[in-house]
Amino acid sequence: MTHEEFLDQVDAYALGAVEPTEARALEQHLASEGPHPLCEAALARARETVATVAADLEPVAPPPSVWDGVARGIAKGQEPAQSTPAPPEGSALSRERRPARAFRRAPAWTYGVAAAAVLTLVVAGVQVHDARRSAALASASVAECAKDLADARIDVLRKEDALQLLLERGTQLVSLKATPDAQGPLAQSSGVVIFNPRGRALFVGKSFPGQPTRDYELWLIRGGKTVAAGLLPAGPDGRVFADVRPEVFTGGRPQNFAVSLEQKGGERDAPKGPVIFLGAVAAP
Amino acid sequence: MTRPAEDGTVLDSVRRGDARALEELYRRHSSRLYALLLRMLRETADAEEILQETFLDAWRRAAEYAAARGSVEAWLITIARSRAIDRIRNRGARLRLVKQSEELAPVQNAQHEPPDVHAQTRLRRALGTLPPEQRRALELAYWDGLSQSEISRETGDPLGTVKTRVRLGLQRLAELLVG
Repeated sequence: MTHEEFLDQVDAYALGAVEPTEARALEQHLASEGPHPLCEAALARARETVATVAADLEPVAPPPSVWDGVARGIAKGQEPAQSTPAPPEGSALSRERRPARAFRRAPAWTYGVAAAAVLTLVVAGVQVHDARRSAALASASVAECAKDLADARIDVLRKEDALQLLLERGTQLVSLKATPDAQGPLAQSSGVVIFNPRGRALFVGKSFPGQPTRDYELWLIRGGKTVAAGLLPAGPDGRVFADVRPEVFTGGRPQNFAVSLEQKGGERDAPKGPVIFLGAVAAP
Repeated sequence: MTRPAEDGTVLDSVRRGDARALEELYRRHSSRLYALLLRMLRETADAEEILQETFLDAWRRAAEYAAARGSVEAWLITIARSRAIDRIRNRGARLRLVKQSEELAPVQNAQHEPPDVHAQTRLRRALGTLPPEQRRALELAYWDGLSQSEISRETGDPLGTVKTRVRLGLQRLAELLVG
């Protein structure tokens, strides 16, 4: 980047209105062998203008709890300028990317469980399904779900654990429906969240195409807020079987679940990639 | 703006690990930053969280401050705005998802609007002298956290036109506000 190119974009950069790649190029220019007195002066002037706009606002005293939080952060031992080297302040590079915590992946893959036990559970599932039909549960069928679990190539103990959750009192099934963004093979995929008000929950999916460069991520929606509920690793057969962390339920009952397709590691606050499945939790 | 030279001295102490110096910076600048964050984020809880993160960032990264690139106040505002823009962009994705989900089931979404802190005087006059399209581009970037590409999509104007408006608009504001 030349000095002229830098000067051409410096105002938008000071405003935070450039794209991350442009910001990176501008920062690399400043970091390159200098000096860059003209560029730095232009940046200073643009930043002062941005600051002056803010300075024209009527001040509002923040509540004391804000400083208390800062003081707590400092007390935790965060020494100034000694943390991991950080990118330039206020830049696109400075945005923190904290990878979402991944679900516990199945520790081992096995090929089945005693057929009689599965049959018993499936039948039991059908009975539970019949009993709950009047309760206006989401459209997912307990029997279908039990069958999916039976077919899943997962550790026997995990399978039994999941089937037990399925049959527990108060457990609900939320069937996630494909959105218009679920295109191609994804349109054939399906997923169900099995959750109990006590906070125990599972995600079971099938026909999830492998994504070498991206991750499926589950979201819980409650009171207009999104909560990252973990990554959904798809097996080689396209099946997904994942535990949902119980702590995501501590804020209260969710209204919806969704699955998005994110870059590796997932997102922390809100989906950035396409939302491919969405399902509503039925009223209790 | 408040005593840039003194701010520099205070920041030197922050750099050496003096927490009381950071508290002094907080005392000087937090009310202005909080007003800015309330105006940008329109949600008290988010504004408080970002304000807290801004000062923790200042504590951790005091050594990165370069006086040649602006005053301490401008540096703090840059940090705060950058974090607020990230929050706005994440929130945009969140709102899109919530809106989709609302089509399936109504959700309770009672947001508390903060008081209107957009009580500009000199700024309003300065903005009033800008051509409407320049003013609109600047406002979308400044308060709504939109990038130039997003402004182009929002207004339907070509990206090159938006870039010119942002550049000329901010330069005009600099002449009027900074001198």
